[in-house]
Amino acid sequence: MYEIINMISTAYFPEFIIIVFVLINIFASLFFDTHFYKLSKWITLLGIVLALASTFYLQIDPEAYAFDGTFLSNIYTVFFKILILICGFFLVLLSRNMIREKRDRAFEYFTVFLSGLLFAMCTVSATDFVGLFVCLEALSLSCYMLLSFTKSPDAKQLTFGYLIQGAVVSSLFLLGLSLIYGLCAQVNFEQISLYFANASVMQTQPQILLTFSLVLLVCTFLFRLGLVPFSSWLPDTFKGASYPICAYISSVPVLACFGILAKLLMTFYNYTFTMKIVFAFIAVVTIILGSLSAIRQENLKRLMAYSMSVQSGIMLLGLCVFSVYSLSSVLFYLFCYVFANIGAWSAIILLYNSARLESLSDLKGLWYHRPYYVMAFTIVLIALAGLAPTSGFVSKLYIFSAVARSGFVFLPFLMIALIGCVVMIYAYWRIIRSMFRRIDTGIEIDNHVISSKYILYACSFATIFICLFADKIIRLCQLVAYYM
Amino acid sequence: MSFLSLIWLILAPIVVALIIMFPKFPNHQVKIRRFAKWFASLHFVYALLFLVFFDTSMYGMSFEKELTFFGMSWLKSLGISAKFGVDGIALLFVILTTFVVLITLFMSKIHIRSKHKLYYSLVFLLESAILGLFCAKDMFVFFVFWELSLIPIYFLVSQWGNSEARRAAMRYTFAAFVANMFLFFGMLILYYYNFAISNVLTANIETLNMDSKFYPLWFQIFVFVNFLIGFAMRVPFVLFHNWYPDIQSKSSAPVNILLSGFVLNTGVYGLIRFNIQVFPEIFKLFAPVLMIWGLVNIVYAGAISIVQPGVKKMVSYAQISTTGFVMLGLSCLNSVGFNGAVFASIASSLVFCSLFVVISCIEFRTKTTYITSLGGIGQVMPKCMYLALIICFAAIGVPFLVMFTPKLLILTGAMLSNLDQQLMVKIAAFIGLCAIAVSAGYIMYFFYKVFCSVLLEQWKKLKDLSPQETAVLSALCLTIVYLGINPMSIINVYQSVSSIILDILQV
Repeated sequence: MYEIINMISTAYFPEFIIIVFVLINIFASLFFDTHFYKLSKWITLLGIVLALASTFYLQIDPEAYAFDGTFLSNIYTVFFKILILICGFFLVLLSRNMIREKRDRAFEYFTVFLSGLLFAMCTVSATDFVGLFVCLEALSLSCYMLLSFTKSPDAKQLTFGYLIQGAVVSSLFLLGLSLIYGLCAQVNFEQISLYFANASVMQTQPQILLTFSLVLLVCTFLFRLGLVPFSSWLPDTFKGASYPICAYISSVPVLACFGILAKLLMTFYNYTFTMKIVFAFIAVVTIILGSLSAIRQENLKRLMAYSMSVQSGIMLLGLCVFSVYSLSSVLFYLFCYVFANIGAWSAIILLYNSARLESLSDLKGLWYHRPYYVMAFTIVLIALAGLAPTSGFVSKLYIFSAVARSGFVFLPFLMIALIGCVVMIYAYWRIIRSMFRRIDTGIEIDNHVISSKYILYACSFATIFICLFADKIIRLCQLVAYYM
Repeated sequence: MSFLSLIWLILAPIVVALIIMFPKFPNHQVKIRRFAKWFASLHFVYALLFLVFFDTSMYGMSFEKELTFFGMSWLKSLGISAKFGVDGIALLFVILTTFVVLITLFMSKIHIRSKHKLYYSLVFLLESAILGLFCAKDMFVFFVFWELSLIPIYFLVSQWGNSEARRAAMRYTFAAFVANMFLFFGMLILYYYNFAISNVLTANIETLNMDSKFYPLWFQIFVFVNFLIGFAMRVPFVLFHNWYPDIQSKSSAPVNILLSGFVLNTGVYGLIRFNIQVFPEIFKLFAPVLMIWGLVNIVYAGAISIVQPGVKKMVSYAQISTTGFVMLGLSCLNSVGFNGAVFASIASSLVFCSLFVVISCIEFRTKTTYITSLGGIGQVMPKCMYLALIICFAAIGVPFLVMFTPKLLILTGAMLSNLDQQLMVKIAAFIGLCAIAVSAGYIMYFFYKVFCSVLLEQWKKLKDLSPQETAVLSALCLTIVYLGINPMSIINVYQSVSSIILDILQV
């Protein structure tokens, strides 16, 4: 008993709290009827805040293990967990209006939501392939279930592709896992890398098999991050899903997948030089294709889907030139991306909930009705585009300087990525432009959508604040990257 | 002088822009305008104080200051810090910018009819960006302000222009982002490969260089060209010049004045700071190319200027043609040419800013800018005509007016130049001399068509300049005459800087 408590308090505390609150939510759904649907939101918020607070009690110096070394907790994982929890906090507030319309399923929604957060956190902490597979699968399951909350007629059809492709990719992951296990009879990352570090093994074992299995393993991450061979699900799924769920899919799995992908790449880095170029190629193609598709979109959700794809492409480009410097730049980029992305989604949710504005042409003349919304939204979009006085610029500067310092080979990729970023600036600029149009449509705006308004203001403030005080956060990211 | 802080000079317009945007600030156009004008006047005086206390004999930067956030410098872990400082060239550009903003605000009253809060705060945001760009000591801080200036330009052109302005602004902004991308790419490479040699992670412009011993020539040329594209877009040089007449002809009159007052300066400043100071050897290699490019600029843009149907386009092309002289002066690689080039960019900003003020007065009265529908206005607007005559003479380069000295210096510099291709240089100088005649052609054609030909029936009841317009134009003309009579007052300020830069170029 004592050992279990000790394990929880050193390594597993935030997850444990989330589990407790998932159970509380389930039990509360038994005892409270639809009338008390707001209770579920408060339970969830309380759980997230407590989990955030509990991260400070973890013994993470240098690291702590749980469950016989299958669950790792150190500064690196805690960094990601804090980001995931902050995301979750904002997303709970953003789902307010959706829950009001579906009161009878509020407890169910938040139970699935919290377990999604839980498995995202566990994904980052995984130290072996089996645990990783279970966590990723559970994370995807929570996404599938959240997607089923939408009741619009074509939603099922649009989101079905996500389910099918996700299943295919998961099976590929399993195949890669079994091949790796067949090669070295290990599932732990460290053990596998130690096994292959032995030079005599590399001569007897076929290297092509290792590369092949790694490619299979990586497919699942490419799929979750919306990178190029597997990016076709993004716009359709986003179009079919409800707004808060789009925000969820574009932030929580992205954080979890980048967290674990960085770790995997570091473990297998020495054996896959060609992977570097392949990753850079994938990143660049994603950026170009995503940005070229984004400039033709009319629907805000579809545009944001391509935006997520492009942002993951930029982060992958930073990740593939592997060093501590570039890893810290990716961490910083994720940090900035979370705030800008949540801010943009909160603005879009705000516009949808208050006046049912869905496409770019609906936004015309918004400046004349709500100048302060428009200003905050503009700042957030500028941050996503990576322009000057916001966090986006600093993060882009950092990540591209990391790419520039990794050698002549990457300069063409950097050039193409920058071109793609300029195209993406145009895509974001179209939103800003349509808000400042002179056409005066009588938009009726409901003033009662409060929480998303404050999140929008908070995020637009945060993007500028991060830009000014970037130094502290960059140092933090460097520390985190160093400890990984 | 402790009360002279560059940080305040740069950030005060942003603060004022925020004050104007603040919901509690009265949304009454007279109050906003008066507040803006008062602030701009004080700001101009404050900028002039820097000139008064400027030590002209000092080599390097003066008034150095670092912007810290509660004791932390901006991006210390990346070697980037928000340090500011001005040398002679930057200081002159700073003062010119504040002066142009002041003139713009005085001319805004009659043209800006809606969205006053947004307009005045955007003008101040733009001013802040331009000032920050001139004062930045750090490459990436320079780039931040460089990009920051694009967003106000987009809104200023698109919101208050004519019906086609929105598309033109979009085209320009997008093209500028592409050019900025080249600039950013060059900066990233320079940033890292400087670090690889010196082992100091820094982006300070003064210490940056790419040592020719370590890197192949083609690589340096590649980085150099990236910078050149970024700045040539802004100056604008021919090949990258289409945006300038495009947005000038479509935006409203005060925005014309504002744009003509700083675009050339920012581009030339970037060329001097990066392409000359960081890559002196490549610049020497490129000097003949740039010289020919400058000549093409002068002749081609001048020829196009004559056939334009609109007055605004005509004057814009005339300004592009004048930038050719700047290029010619910079590529001479001697002190006479360099002094002339810096002076020419200041003078041309001043002169063309004044020409756009004249055009704004005419446009307000006639509501048209087509040259065929104007004509003979001089008969009903004599004050305007005489002031415009001084400005047009200045644009041609008549002695004792502001453009004379720089053109003289540039052509003398071209004659004295020590470039290897002696014959080409002499021919270039000769063509430049002839090009003055071309410039006289298009400027006088403009003047004749607008003021001197037959007076049309519908313009017989036009009123002459109002006292405010007369005051603004007279102030500009006085500046033009004063700088024409006393050119050394400008040249003295940046002579020490130019000697440093020439030392770099002689290496």
